[in-house]
Amino acid sequence: MSRALAPVTLVTLFLVGLQLAIFTTLRFDGVVIMLVWLWPLAMGLAGVTSLALTAAVVAGLFFDTHGTTPFGLTAAVGLALAYGASRLGREGVGDLDSAAWWVTPLLGALGGFSAPLLYTFFGLFTLNFSLWRGSVLAVMVVNACAFFVLARPMARLARAVSGAGERARR
Amino acid sequence: MVTLVATILYLTGGVVSGLRSAANLAVTPFSWTIDVIARPIGHLLAGAVNYSDVVAQNQRLRYELGRAQLQVNENWALQRQLQEMTTQLNVPFVGSLPTVAAQITTISPTSFAATVDISKGRSDGVLVGMPVVANGGVVGSVISTTPHGATIRLISDANSSIGVTFAKGKTTLIVSGRGVNNGLSATSLPLTTSITPGTILSTDGLAGGLYPPGLPVATVSKVTLTPGAATYNVTLRPTADLRHLLYVDVVLWEPST
Repeated sequence: MSRALAPVTLVTLFLVGLQLAIFTTLRFDGVVIMLVWLWPLAMGLAGVTSLALTAAVVAGLFFDTHGTTPFGLTAAVGLALAYGASRLGREGVGDLDSAAWWVTPLLGALGGFSAPLLYTFFGLFTLNFSLWRGSVLAVMVVNACAFFVLARPMARLARAVSGAGERARR
Repeated sequence: MVTLVATILYLTGGVVSGLRSAANLAVTPFSWTIDVIARPIGHLLAGAVNYSDVVAQNQRLRYELGRAQLQVNENWALQRQLQEMTTQLNVPFVGSLPTVAAQITTISPTSFAATVDISKGRSDGVLVGMPVVANGGVVGSVISTTPHGATIRLISDANSSIGVTFAKGKTTLIVSGRGVNNGLSATSLPLTTSITPGTILSTDGLAGGLYPPGLPVATVSKVTLTPGAATYNVTLRPTADLRHLLYVDVVLWEPST
């Protein structure tokens, strides 16, 4: 883990920058595609739990410093996604080499669909009850579609950066 | 004698001229072909000899072209900026209240909050709670400030609520945001009120309110009545175009003043 921590952190910060610079303005029906959630999910599917959790915390906290929504909420959702995905990843579900091609995109889509729901649910614990009033369903659908498309390339990147693919080959 | 010489000269001249013409006609295709082949070679050689002059001339022309293009672009940008500022800062309803013009610097990175950051902050007199207008209506209010920047919560944000009035202040209601791109919603409107599409709802300016009176907030786009219901369903759209904000005016007004 210690060897891969630096590259994972660097890539995470790069992805946060990409999120803020590109994906914030590239909206679909006003919805932002949340790379900062997809990345920990992809890391989790690579089976590296601690690195996935680290990526979720780093991405979420850096992203939350730029918004007006409750601080730490994005990180909390990322942590939940990373942990859930890493449980599957450690069992080999969604492995890019052995599983069917559609498994990883499908898991990504499920993550993208459930993440906004988790966000609004966790928002209740920060006494923010207005998150439900926004276009949650649109956010869920758009992110599910985007995660479906981006899950495989992101999983590949996660494997390369964390060295999970190399370990699996050994 | 003279006539004889003239006749001979005429005849010989004509013959020579004819021969010359015929020769020219025969040679022309060859000379044209050679010219076509030789001219570029000549230019190439001339260019090679005078290469540095050509490069210098080319650079000078490029520089002049660049300056001309820059001037054209500057004029276009200035004209466009002037047009945008004139359109976006056209806020006659603010009246005599002082305002600070500011540029939008960033928009909210998430789908769950409709906020924007502006280029003016505390050092320019911008304080938390001040209303922000642009493009013909209320845009939102300031929720946080830094010395050289501020964050505005747009009226479409799910946390935003504004007291509005219409029909010469006879009816008041609360307009709330419904999230990014979802327009606005209003509290129920009793059937006793008279409301039609196109009605403009403006801030009520009640004592202790967050906005001064008379700022346009929303326009009624649709009024429907469900059979058996005791209230109208109204569809509202913000008076200001919130999707294309570039400049805004912060109204230097506080609720207590």
